[in-house]
Amino acid sequence: MPDSQPILEVHDLHVHFKMLAGIVRAVDGVDFTVERGRCLGIVGESGCGKSVTARSILRLLPSSDTSGQILYHPDGDDEPIDLVSLDAKGDAIRAIRGKDIAMIFQEPMTSLTPVYTIGEQIMESIRKHQDLSEEEAQALAISMLNKVGIPDAERRFGDYPHQMSGGMRQRVMIAIALCCEPRVLIADEPTTALDVTIQAQILRLIRSLQQDLDMSVIMITHDLSVIAQLADFVVVMYLGQMAEKAPVVELFQDPKHPYTQALLRSIVRPDTPPREQLHSISGSVPDPRNAPSGCRFRNRCPSVHDRCVEDPPVVEFGPQHSATCWLYVDE
Amino acid sequence: MPDTPILQVENLSKFFPVQRGLLRRTVGHVKAVNDVTFTVNKGECLGLVGESGCGKTTVARCLLRLVEPDQGRILLHGERQTFDIASASRKEMLDVRRQMQIIFQDPFSSLDPRWRVTDVIAEPLMAQKVGRGEAGRRVLEILPTVGLGPHFADRFPHELSGGERQRVSIARALIVSPPLVVADEPVSALDVSVRSQIINLLLDLQSQMNLTYVFIAHDLSIVKHISHRIAVMYLGRLVELGTTQQVFEECKHPYTKALLASVLIPDPTHREQSYVLEGEVPSPLNPPSGCHFSTRCPFAQEQCSAEEPELRDMGDGHWVRCHFAEELDLSEEIFAPQFDTPTASN
Ligand SMILES: Nc1ncnc2c1ncn2[C@@H]1O[C@H](COP(=O)(O)OP(=O)(O)OP(=O)(O)O)[C@@H](O)[C@H]1O
Ligand SMILES: Nc1ncnc2c1ncn2[C@@H]1O[C@H](COP(=O)(O)OP(=O)(O)O)[C@@H](O)[C@H]1O
Ligand code: SF4
Ligand code: SF4
Ligand SMILES: [Mg+2]
Ligand SMILES: [Mg+2]
Repeated sequence: MPDSQPILEVHDLHVHFKMLAGIVRAVDGVDFTVERGRCLGIVGESGCGKSVTARSILRLLPSSDTSGQILYHPDGDDEPIDLVSLDAKGDAIRAIRGKDIAMIFQEPMTSLTPVYTIGEQIMESIRKHQDLSEEEAQALAISMLNKVGIPDAERRFGDYPHQMSGGMRQRVMIAIALCCEPRVLIADEPTTALDVTIQAQILRLIRSLQQDLDMSVIMITHDLSVIAQLADFVVVMYLGQMAEKAPVVELFQDPKHPYTQALLRSIVRPDTPPREQLHSISGSVPDPRNAPSGCRFRNRCPSVHDRCVEDPPVVEFGPQHSATCWLYVDE
Repeated sequence: MPDTPILQVENLSKFFPVQRGLLRRTVGHVKAVNDVTFTVNKGECLGLVGESGCGKTTVARCLLRLVEPDQGRILLHGERQTFDIASASRKEMLDVRRQMQIIFQDPFSSLDPRWRVTDVIAEPLMAQKVGRGEAGRRVLEILPTVGLGPHFADRFPHELSGGERQRVSIARALIVSPPLVVADEPVSALDVSVRSQIINLLLDLQSQMNLTYVFIAHDLSIVKHISHRIAVMYLGRLVELGTTQQVFEECKHPYTKALLASVLIPDPTHREQSYVLEGEVPSPLNPPSGCHFSTRCPFAQEQCSAEEPELRDMGDGHWVRCHFAEELDLSEEIFAPQFDTPTASN
């Protein structure tokens, strides 16, 4: 596989929600590229705009709130399609959504319909995008359930979502997302609600399907361990903005942004001395409506200085590594 | 640390009836907690771990009599008196709550949205019939202890961040100066950057006030960090109990080993370490016969599904519930790296 063929390019994405109490700049200038067959990790704390970024790629948000470019390259040579320019309710995005780009949502229970069996729900998704007979669709659905590791798939086909455990429901979500062999899978915290043992199973499943189907994955999480295990390339977000982006090993070994550095220091590692004080970041993530001007991290940053009241520049540390911070600019 | 027990839990069981149909006939029982025995010593932190549904919260709720235990004794050695919580009277329970408090799992739903922070924190004092004025003063005293300014007193829960809410829950638990605190997943709902603040706070308070903790969590790295001893549960049963060293470095139960091996390592250059335990926790309504772990255990033999193993003392206070605890070699090779190979559908 030739290196770095982009399948999805996000340029200067902004999503601003106009609320009574003011404007929420949920996503404010995000840029990244997803490469074919690779996994891009998006990491950040609650409310930093991860899910909004994901939903804007599928155009699940009102057009009036979204600006920027999201270029989808369906095939190597074809002209890319700017998803932002598509009508959010039109046929063009519908043909892409679920077929070319599929998503697993944060809460599996709320995204499965309680009144239909899981079999019906997978079949509906298959027949929306593929011209198959009832029998063919059913056979495909059962083989997908098998593939995602649901034992006894033929019998479970008739189960309702509430009859399954959280881990099983998440597998069903993955089966629905994968039944049309999407080029890009967006997984929004697919394991946050699950136990460590089930988390390991689901992540291994996503990884092996990614390799088998040569699929690209956007893995959204607040857990740096998930990023360390799965991602090839990482975007660190803070309050709607990109703090840093880098190849995964570089990010863990040579983080540049004070926020990334602090996050990495605060994780408990196997060799952290027991019962000693952990590194922590003072304060908590502010309400996005009251985000500080200039660098949004400045009220918590240990390296804050005068210049930080102004918007920090994007500083490049390598072809794929950059951080948005004043520290690396000479005065 | 001299081992002076503050809490002794003996053969504790809680079975929830499962009812079906219009007449709500009882069709079986969930053995949420099944014959659990452990001791907590003064000044230590006992960690309680296991997959969701294994009975951790139910143990915690039994300790506080928020649910009625079906069997067993819970002895709390108070400053002047020993209480048997399982059979304590209403009046005795008031005393018990002065000695033991709980911090709940979810800082978002555990606080009543209509109450101001000061009333939330003062509530255990009011239950002890402390006067309003005095209660208000004590609230203002405790706020800085948990890192909150006095201006938080008049706020409502929705005006607080997750970390601040959890600080309020901690203040509420500590206001009656209980020597023993049960913390049920106190940091699971919090962001990474706030999580370490709360862990640091709990560690600080423990050394300042000589507190004893029962610390429940499913995040093994955090439990390892904070606990002196650890108890591992599976399907209502205690399967391993020992010092943090014994449970993490010298574990003897295949389930503990599997749990430890599924922890993801936060290092992209070590991707091959995750062992993946197959299958899911079986239904607690109908647990496997013999050893409850036999359906997922890579070492299971015939005896395992026929006979339930006892919790046995392996020496030095290390207890293990496995027929083969002495013989098994839980070395890394058996829990070999499998992260990159496809899942076999079983
Ligand atoms: N439809 C909406 N209207 C107004 N504000 C919104 C809307 N959706 C999201 N937001 C706000 O945008 C910000 C980013 O939300 P988002 O759901 O992307 O966070 P996240 O990074 O996925 O967080 P989490 O880790 O909690 O899932 C938050 O402040 C959220 O409250
Ligand atoms: N009030 C209740 N009624 C019926 N079953 C319950 C009740 N509370 C807990 N259970 C069941 O008991 C088992 C243990 O639950 P719990 O103690 O909450 O587990 P954990 O805290 O380890 O996740 C689960 O199977 C759960 O569904
Ligand atoms: S720009 Fe300033 S405040 Fe922001 S991260 Fe860099 S040093 Fe810290
Ligand atoms: S008793 Fe048997 S099944 Fe149970 S843990 Fe030990 S070896 Fe495994
Ligand atoms: Mg989200
Ligand atoms: Mg619980």
